[in-house]
Amino acid sequence: MDYCIVTFSSTYGAIFAQKVLDGVCSVQVMPVLREISAGCGIAVRFAPESLGAVASALAASSLAPEEYAFYAVTGAGTTLRTEAFLP
Amino acid sequence: MSHLIDAKGKACPIPVVLAKGAITDGADAFTIEVDNTTAVENLTRLAASQGYGLAVRESGGIFALDFARTGAVVKPQASAPAETCTGCGYAVLVGRDTLGAGDRALGTNLMRMFFYSLANSCDLPACVLFLNDGVKLPTLDDQMVEHLNALSGKGVEILVCGTCLNFYGLSEQLRVGTVSNMFDILSRMQGSGKVITL
Repeated sequence: MDYCIVTFSSTYGAIFAQKVLDGVCSVQVMPVLREISAGCGIAVRFAPESLGAVASALAASSLAPEEYAFYAVTGAGTTLRTEAFLP
Repeated sequence: MSHLIDAKGKACPIPVVLAKGAITDGADAFTIEVDNTTAVENLTRLAASQGYGLAVRESGGIFALDFARTGAVVKPQASAPAETCTGCGYAVLVGRDTLGAGDRALGTNLMRMFFYSLANSCDLPACVLFLNDGVKLPTLDDQMVEHLNALSGKGVEILVCGTCLNFYGLSEQLRVGTVSNMFDILSRMQGSGKVITL
C-alpha cells in the first residue's frame, strides 16, 4: 500500500479526529476518494508506518469504532486501488 | 513553408490554442497575427516554452509573431513574476484562509481538500494568488505548504501579497511562493482566461 486513509460517518467525526491525531503523527486532510464513496466527505490520509499510532489514538478517543473506517490505497489514477481493512 | 494564422479579434486563450495547434501539427515555422499585447505576451511565453524563436512585428495595432523552431526550451523564472504571466488557463485567487463562509473548522478542511485535489489534478492553474487572510496559508498551514510546493514544482506560479504578509506580521514566515504586489496580482488576473475566487 502507498498510504492509508480513514473515512468517517460524519463531518464532525472527521474534524474531531484531526484534533485527536494532532501531535500523534503527520496527517493530511483530503476528499474521500470516489472509489470509496460517491458522496462528499472528509478523509484523513497518513503514511502506513503511522497506522499503529493512528489506530491507537482513535481507539482511545470518544469516537465509536463504527464511526470510522480504514482503507489501504495503492496506485493513482487508473491504477488506483482501495481496500478496507481493520488495523 | 510558413503559414499564417489569423487570430485578430480572438480573446485569450484562443490565440495560444491556435498556435499550440500549429506546434502540435509539427510546424517548424508559422506566423500568427493578433491585435492585443496580452496575446503577444502569452505567445511569447509559449514560444519560449516550446522551443521556438520569435520575432514580433507591429503595424497599425496588429502584431505579427513569426515562430521558428529552435529546439531550445526556456523555462519560466519563478523569481521574475512580472514577466511570467501565462494569460491562459486560469488563476485561483485566495482571499481567505477558509473555504466558504460558516464554521471555521469546516472551512479549513474544505480549503485543504480543495488544494489536495488541485495538486493532484491534471488541469492546473497558471497561478495561485494569495491576499488578505489567504496569506496565512502559505505561511502557517503545513498541509497547504505541501500542496503549494507540489503545485510550484509543476510550474504553477504562487504569488503572495506582500502588504498582507506585512499586516499580519508574516513577512518572515513565507514558506512557498513569491512576495508580490497588487500590480502583479492584477496583471495575473487580467491575463488569465478565468479567475476562480475562493
